Order: sequence, then structure tokens, then C-alpha cells
Amino acid sequence: MRIDVDALKCIGCMACEMACGYHRDDAFALLASCIVVYRAREKKDYFGVVIKEEESLTIARPEGLEIKRIGVAEEPGSTGQKKEADASAKPMLLREPCDLCDGMKYGPMCVKICPVNAISLVEGGE
Amino acid sequence: MDYLSSNKILIVNLESGEITEDELDDELVSHRIGGVGITSSLYETYKDKDPIVLGTGLLTGSLFPGSALGIISAKSAKTGEVAHSPLTLKAGMELKYTGFDYVVVLGKAVKPVFLWLHDGVADIQDASEIWGSDVWKASDHIRRSMGDDLIQTLVVGPAAESGSELAQVCINYWGSGDCWGFGKSFGEKNLKAIALRGMGLLEISEPEDFVDQCFELFEKIKKGSFMGKTGIQDIFSAMGENDATEWILPLVHRNSACYNTPYATNTFLYLSEDPKTLTEPDEPEPGFLVTDPCALLGFKRAGLSAKDAGSVMKACAKYGINPLAVAEFCVKSGEKDPENIEKSLKDLEGPVSVPDCGRFSYWAPGKPLFSNFDASDTSEYGAWWKRRQAVAYIFGIHPIFANMAPELSEELMLEMVNKGTGLELNQDILDKVIEDVCS
Ligand code: SF4
Ligand code: SF4
Repeated sequence: MRIDVDALKCIGCMACEMACGYHRDDAFALLASCIVVYRAREKKDYFGVVIKEEESLTIARPEGLEIKRIGVAEEPGSTGQKKEADASAKPMLLREPCDLCDGMKYGPMCVKICPVNAISLVEGGE
Repeated sequence: MDYLSSNKILIVNLESGEITEDELDDELVSHRIGGVGITSSLYETYKDKDPIVLGTGLLTGSLFPGSALGIISAKSAKTGEVAHSPLTLKAGMELKYTGFDYVVVLGKAVKPVFLWLHDGVADIQDASEIWGSDVWKASDHIRRSMGDDLIQTLVVGPAAESGSELAQVCINYWGSGDCWGFGKSFGEKNLKAIALRGMGLLEISEPEDFVDQCFELFEKIKKGSFMGKTGIQDIFSAMGENDATEWILPLVHRNSACYNTPYATNTFLYLSEDPKTLTEPDEPEPGFLVTDPCALLGFKRAGLSAKDAGSVMKACAKYGINPLAVAEFCVKSGEKDPENIEKSLKDLEGPVSVPDCGRFSYWAPGKPLFSNFDASDTSEYGAWWKRRQAVAYIFGIHPIFANMAPELSEELMLEMVNKGTGLELNQDILDKVIEDVCS
């Protein structure tokens, strides 16, 4: 199972990011979230969601989903990573991968909290 | 304060350059709760030094639905009285995570400066390079020079620098709920901007209970009356302005929400790109994010096309002037040409109407949205609206969202704050604070 995001439904509220941060830190913080809203191209209204997984980065763009294997091309600071996870406080590749909220009684917290049901749990691993 | 707080009040004296910190005392929170309860109390403490006070509510930046709000409290250039304006988008949340719950800015800097708040550190930085530039250029400059595109900026433009009472403190590139002329107060202090970025962490007294209840609330809200509705266009419908919905729809690109706010109260209009474009446009500035439904409606009433209204709102945000006031001038003068309106911005002055809205920003529509709240007095900006806004500004809840979500009751907010902080706040204390901030 993995997390899927329909970026066109997304309203960029960051609730998923904070829920994931809570899962990591038992407090409110954004530094450790593995689901992050990319919102650095504010003047263009171009935003979506990036999820760090064990071996890939899922980039949910308005025009569609892209899954990038984490490898040489996606080293921290390389163009692909930099472009989508841009300016997040901590590079995406240095964050823990999504564990589907393992150990949390709520199940995947980002799925549960998204107000517009943009996030879902889908079949298929990496 | 150990919980839902950074436990810090920052005092910045722009004149002397001195920066000091006070603890956020539990005692103060027990009496004034937070948000506007504490910003107004800090305002009173420093009143003779013409303070601008920034703050957040205890729920700001949490998982409680709608917890987006930060506040500016200062003396209004328009009314001469203390008033409060909302910091929405991601600015309230970012302020909360800078490591300061409250920020008191005193005095006048000898030369233009901006205040840089990040990770528990406050710096007064030289702003001579951006003094004179418009809001967009100033925001770009700050983000570029700090190397971080997610910095949230509270920034003023030429309107503030020229001392206009209509000057607005903008957020990043967009208009804000500052209808009080706080831009002028920034300008008088030689304060071009306050830049915010924080990577803090907020501890919760009873984390599991708090988060359980947030999830329960989200479930309820997802069945609420505004679900399936989105953006400024549906706010217009809720206000009974269905024509305005039709008027704006062809330009709508996407709708977006302020931090953790389940309703997208902001709508991006594409003015020079096809609104159906999904890929990243090449054009660097294709449109404008409307955060102020009443101002947009004002330009419709003035007879502008939706596209011209969007262009004029963009020009207002660059110049740093309250678009609602500009719309009022357009209605009075009959001017509909966007170029003429843009040219006239620098000369606009004189009184603009202020509804009887107490000290809270009338940027939030004056009635309940999508729901009737079972209130007896829901007259425009009436008793219900004032109390609801007071509560939103005390706890840190998005003021427009507060007016559409009866699920967020006063009782529940108190309960959540108690769970989050371990304090024992009650309705009597809340009533007292509301009475005080509404008086
Ligand atoms: S499922 Fe849990 S760990 Fe995975 S992205 Fe969502 S909140 Fe984070
Ligand atoms: S919670 Fe949903 S709407 Fe909000 S940012 Fe995440 S995916 Fe987007």
C-alpha cells in the first residue's frame, strides 16, 4: 500500500504535513514530515504535494503524478529534488520515509485529516 | 508557558536597536488566554511608545481546524483607536513557529529596516535597498537574500512610505485583512517588513486527547454545510451575490486555503494565462490571489470587469493600499478604467466608510456563511459577528472560517486549549476577555 495524492483537489492547507509531523514528533512541528506541500512558486499558483517513500519520491503535481526513484539523479540538491521539495526546511531526502503511520491508532493520518479527500491509500508498494 | 507556546514575548525597540525577551507567564495566559486577549494587554502596557503588537492564539499552528490566525494589534490610522487585523495564509502559522508568541515593536528606526524573525532569533536588518520598492519586489528581495522562498513577509509598499492612511500591511504578494491603515504605522516606524520563518516545535500537554479530538472535529466538519463549496466564488454565493460568482468563475485558476483551514478562502485569478492551465506557466506573474472577497465585490459594484478588477487588486497589492478603500473611491467617482485607477492610487486620500464592526477587521464578511449558527442577532457586523470574531482572534482561528463552522463552539475551543496547555480556563474567563476586547 502507498499514499496517493490528487494534487488538483489539494487546496494547499498543510494539514497533512502537520499531521505527519505529529506522527514523527508527538508534538506540532513540520521538520520531520514526509509529506510536504510544495508552495514555493506562489506567484504562479503552482502547488502540489511531495511524499518521501523508502525508495522513491512521489510528486503530485496539478498535471499528474510522478514517481521518481531515489537514486543518483535525486541526490539532495540535484535539480529534480530541489525543484519540487524546494525550500522546505529540511531536504526531503534526509527525512524518514512514509511508514503509513505505523503504530498510530488513526491509520494514515494524512488521509484522515485531508479536508478535501485529496489523499488516499492505494494498492502497490514501491 | 510550556505548551502550545514558545514561552516568549519579544520586545524590539527600533530606535535604540535593543531587543529583549520576556517569558510568557502562565498567569497572564490564565487571565487573558491569548491572541487578541494578550496583544491588547501588551498594547496597553506599551501604549505611550506607539506599539505595533503581533501575536498568535494558543491554537494557532496546531491541528485544530482553522488554526491559521496571527494578529496585528496597533492604533488605527483611520480611527485613532486600537484595532486588530488578521494574519492569514501561512503567516500566522509561521509566526507561531518563529519561536515568539508575541512581538512588540516600539519606536522609529533611524533608517529603513526590516525585522527578521526566525528560529527564536530576532534581527533588525537594513532595508535601504528595498525602501521605495513595491510590495512584490520587496518580498522577492527578502526571500532571495535569505535564500528561502517559504519566508512569509508582512510588507508595506509606497503607500505606507508616503504616509497614506489607506496603506495596508500585505502578506507576501497579496492583500490582507488590514483595513485599519497599519501600513502607515509600519511606514512611520521606517519598518519596511517583518519576515517570518520558523522551524519550532510546540509541545502539547495531553497530546493524544488533543489530537483525538481534532480528528473527531475534522470528521464532523467534513459533513458540514460548506463542504463541496470552495473559494471566493462560493463565498459570494453564501453572501447572496450569485452574479458575482458567475462574474468571477471564468478567471478562476485554483482555490487555496490558509494553514489548516478546511475551506479554501483564497482564489487565484489568472489574468494573463489560460485559467485552465495546469502545468507551471512560463509567465512569472500570471495573476493574482484574491484573499479579500469584499474588496473584489467592491470593484464589481464599481462596474469593473472581473479581469480589470483582478488587475486593479494586483496593482493595489503592489502599491500596498487597501483595495476595499480603492473600490469605494471607484464607486464614488465612477472610474472604471484600470489604468486610470492604478495611476490614481498615489493621490487617494480622505475618509472611507468603516462599518460598526468594533475593533475587528471588516475584511471578514459581516454575516454567517453557509450556516445560520442559531444566533438571534446576525445583523451585518452585529453582536453575533463581533463575538465570533473576538473568539477567533483570541484562540487563533481563521476569522472567515470561524463564520462558517458552528462546529467550532466556544466551549470546545476552551476544552481544547485546556487539553493542549494543562491550564483550567473557563467560560467566565473567556467572557471577560471577550467583553474587554469588544469594549
Ligand atoms: S501515511 Fe503517515 S507517515 Fe505516511 S505521509 Fe501520511 S502521515 Fe506521513
Ligand atoms: S491535507 Fe489535503 S488539501 Fe491539505 S495540503 Fe494536504 S493534500 Fe492538500
